[in-house]
Amino acid sequence: MQYEILAKPASSVVKVQLNAGDHLTCEVGAMVAMSTRMTVETTTQKKGSSGGGIMKGLKRLFAGESLFINHFTAREDGQYIILGPTMMGDVIHHRLDNATLIVQGGSWLASDPDITIDASWQGLGKAFFSGEGAFWVKCSGTGDMFMNSFGAIYAVEVDGDYIVDTGHIVAFEDTLNFKVQKAGASWMSSILGGEGLVCRFEGKGIVYCQSHNPSSFGSALGPSLKPRQS
Amino acid sequence: MEVITRDRPAFANVQVKMQPGDRIVAEADAMASMSTSIVMKTRWNGGFFGALLRRIFGGETLFVNEFQATAESELVITQPFPGDIECLDLNGTSMFLQPGAYLASEPGVKMGVSWAGFASWIGGEGLFRLKVSGTGKVWFGAYGGIFVKEIDGPFVVDTGHLVAYEPTVGMKVGMAGGIFSSFFSKEGLVSRVTGPGRIYLQSRSIDGLAQWTNRHLWR
Repeated sequence: MQYEILAKPASSVVKVQLNAGDHLTCEVGAMVAMSTRMTVETTTQKKGSSGGGIMKGLKRLFAGESLFINHFTAREDGQYIILGPTMMGDVIHHRLDNATLIVQGGSWLASDPDITIDASWQGLGKAFFSGEGAFWVKCSGTGDMFMNSFGAIYAVEVDGDYIVDTGHIVAFEDTLNFKVQKAGASWMSSILGGEGLVCRFEGKGIVYCQSHNPSSFGSALGPSLKPRQS
Repeated sequence: MEVITRDRPAFANVQVKMQPGDRIVAEADAMASMSTSIVMKTRWNGGFFGALLRRIFGGETLFVNEFQATAESELVITQPFPGDIECLDLNGTSMFLQPGAYLASEPGVKMGVSWAGFASWIGGEGLFRLKVSGTGKVWFGAYGGIFVKEIDGPFVVDTGHLVAYEPTVGMKVGMAGGIFSSFFSKEGLVSRVTGPGRIYLQSRSIDGLAQWTNRHLWR
């Protein structure tokens, strides 16, 4: 897939080149601009598959993504589409090679239609304690995919174990396992130190982290915002 | 210890590569990710009373975290809002930081609260200010880009844009122009700082963002 990431890292968008018959599956609302010889199809499921789509759509809804996904198809050669997330932040490319990437709800932007997008149940306990959703977006197969973040994205190659604060996870390879644990040596220290709970990854694989935490930004700005007038 | 400030200026964050025994102190909730070979300890932000003063008047957290590496490790530190991060190298010198600007420091740096005066308060910068002194590096952040300026005489800064300044810099509140233009130009009150000394300015202010957002909320 030929692509270019523009306006990095503050307001990144990705420009993807498509030739006749090429498809791209995208998050609803991600299209910023595109050339005219394109067909758009909105479904609740993977392109071309039949049956069971609505359930997958509903599961995706729980994962913080939309019920629907858009499929863009180029009718002629030399077409392109520009995709961007809502918030300011970065966009990165990841290549799946018969592998699985677990993406935090809301960070999936687009992928090759050969990649299966499904919700992955991470367990209520983890959802409750990690501050992330109970469902994550599970992308598996072979092809290119794009993710977005709040802040810049950095990749950490874990070999052994590594700690990521809740709110900073973008995605991780399924060769890694994570559990939620306290940040410091004691519970007292973890809570008073403001770090609370963190995610500890174990195994060998890549974890993508975002430099900024949406909840921390919300807490910094929130007190200055006026309440809703009813 | 090797420190890199990356993704500047929009989403600056600090990557710290640590050797066994290296220590760094950071504001509560500043850690984004780290190696498991780092031990995190939470302590009062400079003693109980000092911490209390800094919490109430300095706009800082009651507790800070000290990170100590037990092996070769990596630590990533960030701030809540998008913006730039600057590093100061203190060598027995000191610097005043505005509430909320402090991010991290080396163990040789002391933190205290000092009286900033009514001029600072009216200027929207707080009645007290955080004073960092001692020996070592200090990292502080801002919402927006950070500009450093050497002043040698009077200089005017809009409220909410001053991030840090040297103790030699004096501060007074003034009007941007006459009474009429100060009111209608929306510049209102400004800080009149006087050198000699270095000042750090931020290109945006979080209060400005809040005001702008409020105007577009719940229409």
